[in-house]
Amino acid sequence: MIKPEAVAQEARFERVMALVLLVGVFVSAALVLFGLAGSFVVGWTGSLVGSPTVDSATTDFSGILERLGAFQPLALGQLGLLVLIGTPVFRVGVSIVGFWSEGDRLYVALAAVVLALLALSLVALR
Amino acid sequence: MALTAGQDLGLLVVSFGAGLIGALAGVGGGLIIVPVLTIWFGVDVRLAAGASIVSVIATSSGSAAAYLREGWANLRIATFLQLATVTGAIAGALVVQDVPTSALLLTLAVVLLLSAGAQLVRLDEEPGSGPSATDRRLRLSGTYVSLRLGRTVAYGAQRIVPGFVVMFVAGALSGLLGIGSGALKVLAMDGLMRLPLKVSSATSNFMIGVTAAASVGIYLGRGLVDVRLAAPVTLGVLGGALVGARLLPRLTNRQVRLLFIPILFVIAVETLLRALGIAL
Repeated sequence: MIKPEAVAQEARFERVMALVLLVGVFVSAALVLFGLAGSFVVGWTGSLVGSPTVDSATTDFSGILERLGAFQPLALGQLGLLVLIGTPVFRVGVSIVGFWSEGDRLYVALAAVVLALLALSLVALR
Repeated sequence: MALTAGQDLGLLVVSFGAGLIGALAGVGGGLIIVPVLTIWFGVDVRLAAGASIVSVIATSSGSAAAYLREGWANLRIATFLQLATVTGAIAGALVVQDVPTSALLLTLAVVLLLSAGAQLVRLDEEPGSGPSATDRRLRLSGTYVSLRLGRTVAYGAQRIVPGFVVMFVAGALSGLLGIGSGALKVLAMDGLMRLPLKVSSATSNFMIGVTAAASVGIYLGRGLVDVRLAAPVTLGVLGGALVGARLLPRLTNRQVRLLFIPILFVIAVETLLRALGIAL
């Protein structure tokens, strides 16, 4: 009933997903740790390279690129958190590719709806 | 809420403890760190939830990766049920600022008590069962290798509609309280849908990160993710959970649960008292 190739294919996708999750957690934890350690040195809103930084609120994620350029510990921590949030979102994207390659249209559609809901919550809903 | 450097370290240590106890007691670290931040660190319960929900993604991704390698997680079940948990999480996160603090704490206390109770009565893995008619349309059945039984076990899903509804509630609680709602997700899958416990736990872990990501989006936009809290909490809970996962195989399940579940009850009672405005 279930073809052995399909099982092998699925196992391969599960390994890719496991890797995506692990890399995401590792990169994010490293960034957050870097930011936290930096905050002990120059404070959350200081700059690790001595650039002038704007004294932004620690809950404000706007202007993160500019603040990253100044190696602001706050921005590094925030980037780490964004990577962390992005990991499961990316994982859903990988599952769409997996279902697609298995020719499973129903689950491509279901996973696409999940991805759309995630995008909605991240970008549109306040 | 002004945090000093000393408090940062305190948060790191306490979060490590929450992750460790969570892993050993069989509940997520989020369920422990939210009341602890609220009661002992005087953090607003919504900011505590905002920090916790981020750490929930970290531990869920870490353990989901391990489970995926074992082949226990069922991607179709996860995808289908995520429709319910993600919608619930968005709903929960959208109303979190309209719900009074006492009601949030009361809900937290009830979830803590139920999770601790569920861990006490948790039985050994039971064999799976055949698929229902809805299951055949959704193809939610699968197989997994049971080490205990030494063979491949086939399973199908039953009572999918009630399972879906409970998953929505689990998502809403996750969005409202910043927890993973793992216990309720597992309960819906193994209790209602009659999926094997291993498959339920692995699939639940897999879904928790996606569910949490949905509410984090809203928390973030509303200024409820404070890096000063989220950074030490995430690192601490993740570290504690990793150490707990290493320790767990060396200890017998029963002893561990009996040792750590009372801690959950103590935190639950403290949260309940706080919700009712009784200070000790």
